[in-house]
Amino acid sequence: MSQPPAIIGLGMTLMSVTAGPGSYTLATEAVGVALADAGLDRGDVDGMLVGSSQGVREDRLGVALARRAGFGDLRLLEHLEIKGATAVAMVTRAVLAISAGMARTVICVFADAPIGPGKAAGSTYAHSGGNSGIRGLERASGVLGSVPTFALIASRYLHASGGTEADLCAVAVSARAWASGSEQAVNRKPLDEDGYYASRMISTPLRVLDCARPVNGAVAIIVSSARSAGQEKLTIEIRGMGAVHPMRRRRAGGESWFGGGGQAVDDALAMAGTSRASLDVVELYDPFSVVTLCLLEEYGFCESGQAGKFVRGGGIAPGGELPVNTGGGQLSGFYLQGMTPLAEAVIQLRGTGGDRQVAGARTALVTGIGGRIDHHEALVLAREAA
Amino acid sequence: MTPPQETLPGAGDWLAAPELAPDAADPVMTPLYEAAARGALALPFCAACATPLELDQYVCDACGASAEIGTAGRAWRDVPLAGTVHAATLVHRREPGLIVALGPYPVIDVELASGHRLVLTTATPSGQAPDIGVPVEIAFRTIGAVTVPAVRFPGPHRRPEIPDRRLVS
Repeated sequence: MSQPPAIIGLGMTLMSVTAGPGSYTLATEAVGVALADAGLDRGDVDGMLVGSSQGVREDRLGVALARRAGFGDLRLLEHLEIKGATAVAMVTRAVLAISAGMARTVICVFADAPIGPGKAAGSTYAHSGGNSGIRGLERASGVLGSVPTFALIASRYLHASGGTEADLCAVAVSARAWASGSEQAVNRKPLDEDGYYASRMISTPLRVLDCARPVNGAVAIIVSSARSAGQEKLTIEIRGMGAVHPMRRRRAGGESWFGGGGQAVDDALAMAGTSRASLDVVELYDPFSVVTLCLLEEYGFCESGQAGKFVRGGGIAPGGELPVNTGGGQLSGFYLQGMTPLAEAVIQLRGTGGDRQVAGARTALVTGIGGRIDHHEALVLAREAA
Repeated sequence: MTPPQETLPGAGDWLAAPELAPDAADPVMTPLYEAAARGALALPFCAACATPLELDQYVCDACGASAEIGTAGRAWRDVPLAGTVHAATLVHRREPGLIVALGPYPVIDVELASGHRLVLTTATPSGQAPDIGVPVEIAFRTIGAVTVPAVRFPGPHRRPEIPDRRLVS
């Protein structure tokens, strides 16, 4: 039976912090899990969207996945690239393609394997970026990987907001509190303020516990207008979609590093016909603690400069007013770009979150960001009405 | 406070290994590197309305004037070697083989007097990140065979050390 496009399948691999299979192998595993979850065969799928990390990697996931993972002819097959916003955007693209009659069932896949034998993820990222363009000048100035850039963002944000490291600490501690109840999270050991301040500095003011936890892993999400009998409880409606790509300029007269992302959330909420107050969980793309603070303000959950106070007061932690990143996010859960918040939203709305399940969660906001908070994609998801 | 650093003997630039030398032949950036080689900082402006453009920006967002590479619509001009700190960090993670500094190093987002913003490090070894708003001068450093702009401090660039920032509300 044909219905509005909805999420009907979720497949996740184990999130590994040690070297192992490459991204194609991981992606293939996630595809298999998602198909089984949805009760589908490969032949039921007529569309595939693929996302991968930027940078030069021998094993970077691409459209070859369709062939390698055993699919037949597809009507839709694309590699999408909007940096970190890609995963969330894939769901939007799947909905648009299905709504236009260009596909019926689309599987969206993201995989990454930055951890290699004897090589930490940070080293992999540090060697990515090349020597040309603006990045060439920045890399020559010591900006390797994304941490120094987001440390500049943190420096600027704390200056502009009047915040302190205590705000960053509160984000990290909240994320860990959520992660402690998540089977998928790689950092589940309890964390308090002393533990946070004792962690090593990476790039002031960001400590290692302010930074995303890279993993080797994959997630696949199936979007379809088809419904299988008996799968109703697993079906998640896609009620709202929005995106914005603010063109902040690198010159005097305004903030260069953050601001302008709110339209994506406004549009998604408007399409869904709901409001911030009706959201049960909020799953943000949080590669660094400071990003959570920026986004809480940009997305209208806190007034400008007030996110730190809100988080320090327990606002986003378990039991708080606004459950945010309920699987530990990318800081303590796992860093698989936009698939981290997307998968967690599906888990929460299905009610399968175990110890970190938010009671009665029916509506979720999911956002993905790309680049240096340059691209915003938002979805409003909801548990399908009984 | 992190102590000042020494430079590795024979390492060339104090911070970056030659592998990090930028591509000076990249047409997007060539005017900047050519100017740096003569001790000047050249940056792009809209030839029509003089709005400061980003280094890779070819259409002015203020007036709409456009320029292909090498045409007059985008004018590179030498700018004053002065600015202020817009944001700053002290990077503690040093990637082996790429970073040769022996200790943490600063990365500074400079707002130039011309209005442009550039992310740079210091011209000479430094183990401190400056405070936001501090005045800076632009100097130069050389990685491999490529000269790039860098930061120099004309005066004090740190407030007195705060023992525990958690105590600051």
